[in-house]
Amino acid sequence: MTNAKPQSSPVWPWYAMGIAGIVTLVVSFVAPPDAIQGELSRILYVHVPAAWLAYVSFGITMLASALYLWKKDLKWDRMAAASAEIGVLFTGMTLVIGMIWAKSTWGVWWTWDARLTLTAIMFFVYLGYLALRRSTDDLEARAKRAAILGVLAIVQIPLVHFSVVLWRGLHQTPSLLKPASVDMDTPMVVTLFIAVGMFSVMYVAMMSKLVELGKLEEQVILADRSSTAPVAGSAVTAPSLGGDA
Amino acid sequence: MRRYARFVIPAVVIIAVLAFLLVNLSASLVYYNTPAEVQERPGSNERLRLGGRVAPGSVVDGGTTVSFTVEDCDTDVTVIHTGVPPQLFQEGIGVVVEGTWDGTVFESETMLVKHDEQYRSDDEHYDTERHSCSDP
Repeated sequence: MTNAKPQSSPVWPWYAMGIAGIVTLVVSFVAPPDAIQGELSRILYVHVPAAWLAYVSFGITMLASALYLWKKDLKWDRMAAASAEIGVLFTGMTLVIGMIWAKSTWGVWWTWDARLTLTAIMFFVYLGYLALRRSTDDLEARAKRAAILGVLAIVQIPLVHFSVVLWRGLHQTPSLLKPASVDMDTPMVVTLFIAVGMFSVMYVAMMSKLVELGKLEEQVILADRSSTAPVAGSAVTAPSLGGDA
Repeated sequence: MRRYARFVIPAVVIIAVLAFLLVNLSASLVYYNTPAEVQERPGSNERLRLGGRVAPGSVVDGGTTVSFTVEDCDTDVTVIHTGVPPQLFQEGIGVVVEGTWDGTVFESETMLVKHDEQYRSDDEHYDTERHSCSDP
């Protein structure tokens, strides 16, 4: 049994996540309120960065999956998996925060608008990706199946992002990431950019922790398979005829 | 050749299904009708969604109902809404109302406020004409 020597796990990601969270909170409350939405507009500074991180996470899952299929190196598979987990978390956050915002501005928690529907589908497809990873403990098979889905599922991101432009819906069109000029006052744009930056710091910190966790999980799977676990049927003793031979 | 077929065939099938869904669902993905699209319809009991801008100066509070005009840059429709409008409801803001069209008046019981992508600290900076013409 190869006992990997216990490496000290870095602590910087915890500090980075904490600081990024606090900075986001502070700048969101310092920004001026919107003239029509009032204080409600502050939800923007978590809703948009969360959605942004979901896009980035799934983009990196796609790149890492493609690299796995090309290089067959499990480190790319770990990266794809870690990024997808973060993406699912932040897609969920986008949906929940968006619902709170929707209730207070539109007047309903949920409605089957194109953007909302496609985002919900994207959430469930990537939950499926995470479930697929649990379907086998053969590390190579798991990595290959997941990588194929990880590459294919990316087609949803442009659909989700441009759904508000493609179909007439209730969700507003993008304030950033669009061809025309930005429609926000400068202090608000600056706040949004800081929040997006802070969420990106959180992404890097979470990736570092999750990739580390993925490595440990692989060791557990390998140890389970190779070690002392009884072989099926070993409890059965072969029948023999009685009497002294 | 067979190795590639394993990837190409599923990929082609997936793309074909997606394309089929996109083409066929496009109509039902349209969330609301414009005032002009509602005007073209004969009156009926069919439930519809109407979206547009609440015409400035048109809101009349009638106790349990609110009446107003929903407009875009082509035309407008008179709406009688029963119930309490959402808190952001005001003149000049986008709304989507759900109800029936009897040929002259749109009677709604469900109203959603459609705020747009502008964020301004000062009322004066708002471009209120921005969405007066329907998008897509």
